Amino acid sequence: MSILKISDFSLELTTGSQACLLDAVSLSVEEGETVGLVGESGSGKSLTARAALGLLPGRTRISGSVVLDGTDVFSAGPSQVLALRRSTASMVFQDPRSGINPMRSIGDYLTESLILCNKWSKADASQRALELLRSVGLPRPEAHLAQFPHELSGGMLQRVMIAGALSTSPRLLICDEPTTSLDVTTQAEIIGVLTEQQAQHGMGMLFITHDLNLASALCDRIYVLNAGTVVEHGGVQEVFTNPQSAYTQQLVAATPSVFTRTVSVINPTRSAAALRPAPEPESARPAVMLEARSLSKTYYVKGNPPLVAVNNVTLAVPRGDALAVVGESGSGKSTLARMIVGLEQADAGDILVAGVSRAAHSRTRAERLDRARTVQIVFQDPYLSLDPRIIAGAAVEDALRLHNKLSHAQSRSQVLALFDQVGLGEKHANARPRTLSGGQRQRVAIARALAVGPEVLVLDEATSALDVSVQAQVLEVVQEIRRKRGLTLLFISHDLAVVRKVCETTMVMRRGDIVEHGQTKNLLENPQHPYTQLLLDSIPRPEWELDQPEVPLAPNTSSAQIIGA
Amino acid sequence: MRALAAPPSVVKSLRLPRASGLFLTSLIVAAIMVVSAIAAPILAPYNPNIVDLANVLSGPTSAHWLGTDALGRDTLSRMMFGARSSLLGPLLVVVLSTAIGILLGLIAAWRGGWLDALLARIFDLLFAFPALLLAILAVALFGKGLAAPVIAMSIAYAPFVARLVRSLVVTERTRPYVAAYRVQGFSGGWIALRRVLPNVMPTVGAQSTLNFGYVLADLAALSFIGLGVQAPTADWGAMINESRGALMSGQILPAMAPTIAVVLVVIAINIIGEEFSDRLGGQIPL
Repeated sequence: MSILKISDFSLELTTGSQACLLDAVSLSVEEGETVGLVGESGSGKSLTARAALGLLPGRTRISGSVVLDGTDVFSAGPSQVLALRRSTASMVFQDPRSGINPMRSIGDYLTESLILCNKWSKADASQRALELLRSVGLPRPEAHLAQFPHELSGGMLQRVMIAGALSTSPRLLICDEPTTSLDVTTQAEIIGVLTEQQAQHGMGMLFITHDLNLASALCDRIYVLNAGTVVEHGGVQEVFTNPQSAYTQQLVAATPSVFTRTVSVINPTRSAAALRPAPEPESARPAVMLEARSLSKTYYVKGNPPLVAVNNVTLAVPRGDALAVVGESGSGKSTLARMIVGLEQADAGDILVAGVSRAAHSRTRAERLDRARTVQIVFQDPYLSLDPRIIAGAAVEDALRLHNKLSHAQSRSQVLALFDQVGLGEKHANARPRTLSGGQRQRVAIARALAVGPEVLVLDEATSALDVSVQAQVLEVVQEIRRKRGLTLLFISHDLAVVRKVCETTMVMRRGDIVEHGQTKNLLENPQHPYTQLLLDSIPRPEWELDQPEVPLAPNTSSAQIIGA
Repeated sequence: MRALAAPPSVVKSLRLPRASGLFLTSLIVAAIMVVSAIAAPILAPYNPNIVDLANVLSGPTSAHWLGTDALGRDTLSRMMFGARSSLLGPLLVVVLSTAIGILLGLIAAWRGGWLDALLARIFDLLFAFPALLLAILAVALFGKGLAAPVIAMSIAYAPFVARLVRSLVVTERTRPYVAAYRVQGFSGGWIALRRVLPNVMPTVGAQSTLNFGYVLADLAALSFIGLGVQAPTADWGAMINESRGALMSGQILPAMAPTIAVVLVVIAINIIGEEFSDRLGGQIPL
């Protein structure tokens, strides 16, 4: 018997637009099985998971049934549902930092439900909490019991949340994007813990994710959800290698991979090498467009040891090339980007853009504008990087009019031309940021950066907040612009798969140091540094691909050269 | 050619489908007060300063709806003219204190460092003084009337605005959109004044609206103790003081009418101000 069976479950808003959030969703999870629920943001995957526990938003109308361990959660009484939540199913949420009460200790968090619901004694509950912490692989269980959430890292806290979910030995574990906010190496560890626990307890697991690679590495079967409808389901390899619905095909095609796919992808992305601008015959411009020499930055925070964010970093990017800086959170890659665009001042070292030193703080207006015309940046968060009050077109127009003394009509037509380049139209130019989607906002941010006509464009995790299909579109826009304008790119990312698609050369950073650098192809094929190897090993890949030889689809050789630290 | 920049309108962002009855009532009360102040010369039935000793403390009659005071002056007319000084004072204080507060708050937040610390200490110092005490001090130094208390109150209320502006701007300036302006070469002053300030203005406006009520009560108190608006000019605070004696002889209306007016306006302004800040809470990403 299935531990969870959702049949023809529909959910409609009863207010306003009568939107149908879920439309006849059916899925089942057997004991001991891992089922993936895959979809992009807004597809209804979290709603489906919550419905399994009887958690619904207000003002909605439902039809169909959700049967959890033989009980229909929507026709059962409140006490029965409570009992199900206490003993049969539990949930791991995406963000452990907001999912765990910051004012209570880890010990309180883990023992609370045992003491209150199962009437355990405090000593027994603490004993159990200790076992749980040990089973999820936390290093010092005894010490952790007395610690508070802010003392643990995101990865450790997610382990605590998993331990909490396992405290009542549930038969179904629902994981709602449990690793999305974590670094890839931490993600690999958490996934390890989850699979281990599942095997030990024989639980059924419903795993929600937007990451197809992760789903393929972890799940037995997957359901693909789009706009509230299950568009495809089946064995994971089957869905992956032979997607039937157009949406799944598109999703598989949009998902970048570090490794070769055994299947031919519908739209093979052009390799980055093909997109490089043809070498210009001769110009007065220097061959090296962006150069950093022994760049260092240390932060001093009261009460903490000095934090070396960037340590003696040297790099050089030839004109028209793309250099990726890859690293996990805290590696100093964003600080490096901010120093290059002038948002932070380097403690030591020099930055040269087109041969001119740009390390000093711009004092005069002319200096400021001059610097702005050489290098621009696109930030990660498309929701915060646009002024909420200013319509999208005006944001771009501001920049145009600052740099070129243009009439209103001239700047307006240039705005529309720029919007056209990033695939947006006039109606987007007249829209306020909050009415635009994440992908559209990021295009506006790119248009704004291009308005100044920079020679170097820094993309600071510019696509990591976007859905895969949107990410693919935005990357396409970036490639297009690069080809047309001969832009030099500095691409900051944590995602090696995206880097493979975009950049000729890659530099791996860890705690402020460059640990490895070289042509992307060589680096991915034959990583030299153990940390690069760890990063590559942490990337989830489908089981059926593990036997395949690792042949990364790296871009062809380029003239890029990196001078190591 | 189509205009790119639609005027950003605070009023538009304040509009909500449903307005509470209390809020609407408050708006109406405030509107009545403002209209009667502006149109007093037209609407008032009598000259507020004409003394009619034959007709003192008449109580409500068909000729004098709110009766007359101890000098036979029409209470309703004096109320209407009194609304002018009673509302103008707080208005001036709110405008001045908001202007000073925004300037200081913006400087503190944008410059940071020692200047921020210094301004914070100065604000602490001013918070320690009751606004009324400062106003009395100003009267003692510069003489009675509206000008000295208005200036003193403006200084006393500026730190409230400044502290709010500072905290809002400090959060706002860490946003990537501010960094994007910087990278594009805009000057710090332009970003602060033209882009960040308008984004925090709605919240500041809500706070200043609340201040209006407090200032009105303070200034009425000052007039009541004889340090504010001087006789024979009509003013609610002064009217309450002038008619204190009549309370003893059982004539409560000449003192009660301006008292009620003060209370009504303060409550109405508070409700309006709180409604504004509530509505902004969810809408302006601060």
